[in-house]
Amino acid sequence: MNGISKHKVILVTGGSGLVGQAIKKVSEEENRSDEKWIFLASKDADLRDLEETRAIFKEYKPTHVVHLAAMVGGLYKHLKVNCDFLIFNVRINDNVLQCCKEMGVKKVVSCLSTCIFPDDTTYPINETMIHDGPPHDSNFGYSYAKRMIVVMNRAYNMQYGCRFTSVIPTNIYGPNDNFSVEDGHVMPGLIHKGYLAKHKNIPFTVCGTGTPRRQFIYSIDLAKLIMWTLREYDEIDPIILSVDKEDEVSVQEVAEMVKEAFDLKDEVQYDSSKSDGQIKKTASNSKLRKYLPDYKFTPLRQGIKETAEWLEAHYETARK
Amino acid sequence: MRFHRFVDPKDLPNFIMDEKVTILVTGGSGMLGYALQRVVKVEKRPNEEWIFINSKDGDLRDINQTRKVIEKYMPTHVLHLASAVSGMFRNIKFNSDVLLTNQSINTNVYQVCKDIKVKKLISCLSTCIYPDNVTYPITESMLHNGAPHITSIGYSFSKRMLDVMNRCYRMQYGCNFLSVIPTNLYGPNDNFSLEDAHVIPGLIHKVHRCKKEDTPLIVWGTGKPLRQFIFSYDLAKLMIWAIREYNDEENIFFSVDEDDEISIKELVEIVVEESGFKGDVVFDETKTDGQYKKTVSTAKMRQFLPDFKFTPIREGIRETIRWFEENYETART
Repeated sequence: MNGISKHKVILVTGGSGLVGQAIKKVSEEENRSDEKWIFLASKDADLRDLEETRAIFKEYKPTHVVHLAAMVGGLYKHLKVNCDFLIFNVRINDNVLQCCKEMGVKKVVSCLSTCIFPDDTTYPINETMIHDGPPHDSNFGYSYAKRMIVVMNRAYNMQYGCRFTSVIPTNIYGPNDNFSVEDGHVMPGLIHKGYLAKHKNIPFTVCGTGTPRRQFIYSIDLAKLIMWTLREYDEIDPIILSVDKEDEVSVQEVAEMVKEAFDLKDEVQYDSSKSDGQIKKTASNSKLRKYLPDYKFTPLRQGIKETAEWLEAHYETARK
Repeated sequence: MRFHRFVDPKDLPNFIMDEKVTILVTGGSGMLGYALQRVVKVEKRPNEEWIFINSKDGDLRDINQTRKVIEKYMPTHVLHLASAVSGMFRNIKFNSDVLLTNQSINTNVYQVCKDIKVKKLISCLSTCIYPDNVTYPITESMLHNGAPHITSIGYSFSKRMLDVMNRCYRMQYGCNFLSVIPTNLYGPNDNFSLEDAHVIPGLIHKVHRCKKEDTPLIVWGTGKPLRQFIFSYDLAKLMIWAIREYNDEENIFFSVDEDDEISIKELVEIVVEESGFKGDVVFDETKTDGQYKKTVSTAKMRQFLPDFKFTPIREGIRETIRWFEENYETART
């Protein structure tokens, strides 16, 4: 029996997405002998269905779970289908955590987002503020479904002693994203637009005024930090995973970096008739820096360049 | 909170007197369901059909059973009362179960009601789900302004999600889903379990026991917390009014007015007197008090119903004690 208890079987739900694929890349590079990583996608099981979720858990018998599976989308999609965001994500989260508890999973790390914090707030945001007010109207359904993960983690720990925790990344970007201009997030949307400007000669137009500010985290950095959370972070309360406050940039600055990455000649255009969403969501990473004071994030310009190159190489098969 | 309205409440018709309506009540055999059944017998209109279902008719935690039982009756209106509920001490122990049970029930009922295009769905929140750190009196719009009291986070968040679902279903699908919010409810057919009950039924049962066994009455807590109590028959009348007339997308408190708030100590005195208990009364201050106060504003309710008269608390307690003593063998204890 010695050694078997140390071996981890780590199930990653939403394993085929942006973050899942980054974790896959990093785990393959690290290749630890005491860890077996399994990456699930929606074709393996519809996690909105409890029986399908149970079946997949029984098949793999995970000791650890990284729960990334969710219905996600950019601002404009949320405005359209707020209710679906709420209901689908609530069902997925309820089912996954329930199965984790039933199977005695030792540790679960779920993924939240800074967009779930109260809209009316002081900055920078920190982990204790999650329930201090309603979230922004634009993603009400999604935000509450994610907030409920924090509540469930606490309730499961209070009643059953489960060790379920969560991380709160800021805006994520990287290869394998959803690059849909309509439904995607700001960074992949801009990168796709940059690609179209270069290859289809369409003007590079940014929706909104370009003034909103964000902290962007590269998917590879997030993957490494999630793996650290799974292995070392012992609290039930969530932890924000973000670049420092000083590295917050405006959408306009990002657009300029994308223009540079694709070597575009024309000026960036702005359609200010389109919604900007939240103007800022500055998050504090002091908790992370307490644990990992020396972690070095990939510089934004470099991350954008790598993502642009990935899209150029994989345009046909990329999600868009 | 600003939302785009797909359905303007002013466009929704109130009941047209001769149009048939079928009103399904989930959780129909609980305390409120019991009161509703009795009030409906007297107040039912000719065009109304009222159906009361409970867990024996279907387990609402299961989507297929939920669909089956609701589609059997194809209601035009639904009063959704079914829920895992309990007093504070049980909530502390079973936060996770309460959360998950209620979340399943609520997501299932809402989904089916949307699928069969129910004209109105009213669910029941509770004042204990409001933020713990708040100014008084509490108004309906403060719901999401902070975390609820830790003793009931599972129950509170599952109930808050009803409000979230109301808004999301309304925004995306134009569903007329809304909620009412009673304060502490009491009356016949409550759960009188000594361990798990709410404060009034718990006290009534304790006093009954202490009378029989000739022991002193030990009340948990300091007796200082304040509450507004609403008698189940009064709430039943208000719910019937709501299903017929209330179409505002904002929640509404159903409660006695702020001036009728009483302390637990005063409540104990009333229960003791109405029960005819002559023994000693002691407060066990080592036990938690829960929230000190949760005073809600009845301004909105009074805008709609300025003349509604609540049953005085002494009378409501007297009737509840009488019911308990007459039904002791079969009461939930």
